[in-house]
Amino acid sequence: MTVGRSELRRDAPDKVTGAARYPADGFPAGALVARLVFSDQPHARVVALDIERARTSPGVVAVFTSADVPVNEYGLTLFDQPVFVGLEHTGRSPIPCDVSRWEADNIAFVVAESIEAADRAVALIDVEWEPLPVVADIDAALAGSTLIHPENGRDSNVYHSYKVCKGDIEAGWAAADVVIEGTYEFPYQEHAYLQPEAAVSYVDDAGRVTVEVAGQWTHEDQEQIAHALDLPRDDVRVIYPAIGGAFGGREDTTLQIVMALASWRLAARGERRPVTCRWSREESIVGHHKRHRGRVVARLGATHDGTITAVEADGWLDAGGYNYTTNKVLGNLHLGVAGCYEVPNARIDSHAVYTNAAIGGAFRGFGGPQAAFVAESQMTKLALALGLDPVELRRRNVLRDGSIGITQAVMPDGCTLPEVIEACVERAGLDEPLGDAPAFSPVASLAPAEEAVRRGRGFACAFKNVGFSFGFPERCEAEIHLHGDDDDEIARVELFHGGADVGQGAHQVFVQMAAEAVGVPVERVHGQFSDTATSGDSGSASASRLTWMAGNSILGAAEEAEKRWRDGDRPAVGRFRYTPPPTEEMDPETGACVPNFSYGYVAQAVEISVDVETGHVVVDRVTSAHDVGRAINPALVIGQIEGAVVQAHGYALSEDLQVRDGRILNPRLSTYLIPGIGDIPRRIEAVVLELADPLGPWGARGMAEMPFITYAPAVVAAVHDATGVWFDEFPLTPSRVLAGLRAAR
Amino acid sequence: MIPAAFDYVRAGSAEEAVELIGQHGEEAKFLAGGHSLLPLMRLRLAQPSVLVDIGRISDLSYIRDAGDHVAIGALTRHSEIEHSDVLAQHVPLLAHAASQVGDPQVRHRGTIGGSLAHADPASDLPATTLALGATYVAQGPGGTREIAAADFFESFLMSTLAADELLTEIRVPKMDGAGWSFQKFNRRAQDWAIVGVAAWRRNGAAGVGLVNMASTPVLATSVASALAGGASIADAAEQAAAEADPTADLNASVEYRIHLAKVLTRRALEAASA
Repeated sequence: MTVGRSELRRDAPDKVTGAARYPADGFPAGALVARLVFSDQPHARVVALDIERARTSPGVVAVFTSADVPVNEYGLTLFDQPVFVGLEHTGRSPIPCDVSRWEADNIAFVVAESIEAADRAVALIDVEWEPLPVVADIDAALAGSTLIHPENGRDSNVYHSYKVCKGDIEAGWAAADVVIEGTYEFPYQEHAYLQPEAAVSYVDDAGRVTVEVAGQWTHEDQEQIAHALDLPRDDVRVIYPAIGGAFGGREDTTLQIVMALASWRLAARGERRPVTCRWSREESIVGHHKRHRGRVVARLGATHDGTITAVEADGWLDAGGYNYTTNKVLGNLHLGVAGCYEVPNARIDSHAVYTNAAIGGAFRGFGGPQAAFVAESQMTKLALALGLDPVELRRRNVLRDGSIGITQAVMPDGCTLPEVIEACVERAGLDEPLGDAPAFSPVASLAPAEEAVRRGRGFACAFKNVGFSFGFPERCEAEIHLHGDDDDEIARVELFHGGADVGQGAHQVFVQMAAEAVGVPVERVHGQFSDTATSGDSGSASASRLTWMAGNSILGAAEEAEKRWRDGDRPAVGRFRYTPPPTEEMDPETGACVPNFSYGYVAQAVEISVDVETGHVVVDRVTSAHDVGRAINPALVIGQIEGAVVQAHGYALSEDLQVRDGRILNPRLSTYLIPGIGDIPRRIEAVVLELADPLGPWGARGMAEMPFITYAPAVVAAVHDATGVWFDEFPLTPSRVLAGLRAAR
Repeated sequence: MIPAAFDYVRAGSAEEAVELIGQHGEEAKFLAGGHSLLPLMRLRLAQPSVLVDIGRISDLSYIRDAGDHVAIGALTRHSEIEHSDVLAQHVPLLAHAASQVGDPQVRHRGTIGGSLAHADPASDLPATTLALGATYVAQGPGGTREIAAADFFESFLMSTLAADELLTEIRVPKMDGAGWSFQKFNRRAQDWAIVGVAAWRRNGAAGVGLVNMASTPVLATSVASALAGGASIADAAEQAAAEADPTADLNASVEYRIHLAKVLTRRALEAASA
């Protein structure tokens, strides 16, 4: 058995020794160097753009602008962003390109012989702006008269909404003995992956415009490039070398289109040197999207015995200047905001709002963490109002096999949330009194101040879809070649797969699954990955879907290859496109639909200490329980759990992206504080259940986002347990906690 | 994040260093451990045209028992101060404060002289040596002079050191069994202090230095006076910000810094009195 073993990752030695090649490590000698120029204007109209001085500056090869893009538009699910803001255009996109709606809108791509020459040219670009009112946040977007995308024909900056109407909401409130109300605000989060954006582009020997870059879905990058350049898809090639983290932050493109544009245009001039570009950390933080900030106003009603009778919620996500994946993230928030519970009566309205602030988009959890913060805070408040144990309240309402979800669909078989909750309770010792604190010091350099320390613990649970939701086309392709030896045994297995290894170890898992599917030792499997020239469309490394979807595609390809092997083909080639059970778009009035085909489940308990004189919160212990269905590589599963908890720790406690009038004020890691080794929870205990998903490969479920989702509400509940004060807004920075404690006194 | 171009020269002795800095004029800077200067250069907040590297002047790295004080060579690294037996015995507050500077890599490169001459109010050692009543020795073209720590820090990143003077030695009075405490509050482990407090106490006397509470390190004399006048620790600590003038930044407001200074001063004095 290869599946179920913690095999050493094949990429581990190279990554540990530094030999692995990330996009910026592959820069060929003699390559051209490029700079992408941001508008630096959250909202302004271009009056004049003159690149002549830049174009004729020494060492400059070319300067590309809106005039050079055949179809000057971009968007993963909705074209609403010009590739370049500028004055000249082909007229083939309906998106007005003369307005910058985001500080990182592109105005030019400078290609030069050296970085010095490129820098000089950037300074020589003459652009004149007419300032437009900056719509700084959701409140301004809803209240003001400034429309950011008037071309969409709406009279509001709200551009995408969902509804849920389930049961009889008035009857639900009439039956409620207790009603909990709250307004919750959740913050941005920066992905802060190790590797800032970088890419190499060229025209390959087959004449394909090629971009080597770090992304999450080669074929979607290819599609977006082909659309903007108006090329057949097969004339565009996208390759992912080693990827230094993604977390959703590479779901949308950054350098892909402009790099392809440059190499394509230069090749037409006979200039075939590769083009390279590398962002600084500041460019990375300003230039890619963030986890959405937003607000939810929620009501939750229940009877004295803790039976939920009604949920209402109104939610808003700050999309920033462009949609990116906001409409999809909004769907996930919408689905999760009522929690993982049986809710007979519900009304939910969720809205995506354009502003000129930082762009919101995909980030591990994809709306789930925001939803869980609301739903789980509401549940713990309800439990306390009813005098019930917070876990017991959840037991009485939690989704289980046969439950009807908020969109009126039956949960997929294998809804194991009750088991996950009990596993967490048992490991965390939630039925026992909270133990004594370790000698507490809020930070290493502070001496213990026991009299100022309060301890508490909190609990939260959630579900999260595995795979694309709400009718989005879902599929995954794999190709397997079986090569025989002299004895006609299978000596070598080649696996071709597009799925992106963003650092999570996907390729290792693919190889293990291919070995298992074919029935050979893992050493005989050789993978070729993430190149549109050699691999089929895998869908993205997102939605906790890749193990699940790739596994099913590999099983299908292996079966096909074995059939051909039996038919005598050498090599025997199996190609397979796996398609999961269909999902559906929400009904526009009721939200009714089959939203998803599979879920992962999580329950978390945290123990924290608060220094009530400084407001500093330390997390002493985390118990994170998951049903992963089947751990294909258990070490990688535990790595995902620990990594997600650490990332969520920053989200809940320290990361505080400050955006004022559309500009990020702290685009560096010295002022945007991701946790270090001295800040993370002292103990992270992963509890891994393997209760098979009936549709999962070897029973596996997706799990990569789930450990993130419940952490903030669990910490907030623990701080309440310690201090008696609720925080409906985070991150729980020391100054916010102190202010909250003082306000409550 | 790439420094502007500069020239580089290396000095073999303190005398040569002073001579070289004199030759190159106002645009030259001494380079010791580089852990304060190089970040400024990367951000282009400093753009010296010449760096005079003093990092290999071996005779400026020492820790000596000098009777009533401990003499520390300016090029002594934080890690050497952290692990010094002489300091552990006679000035444990300084040894401990040095152990809280940055992370191990920083402490193995950064020097006490560099940290003091850089005069960053957010650094740990300026406020600590100020609280301890240290004296700094500077060497210039005309010879050496002593500067009391209390007279050294002029404004943000500015000291009374002349452009052609090199800090050569730090003289720290022995603590003679005084109680002490160093309280550093940061939002991220191994990061700069949001607020820090270095305090010692012996009989009626006390010294309290504040990190990151003004444009210079701050000597909280009102706290010491209140204690000398018989005030309780809690009451004295309320005076912690009397000499301070903190600014707000992305990580803390003025009010939060003042609050922290009082809380940490109280804790430091309680620990120093225990």
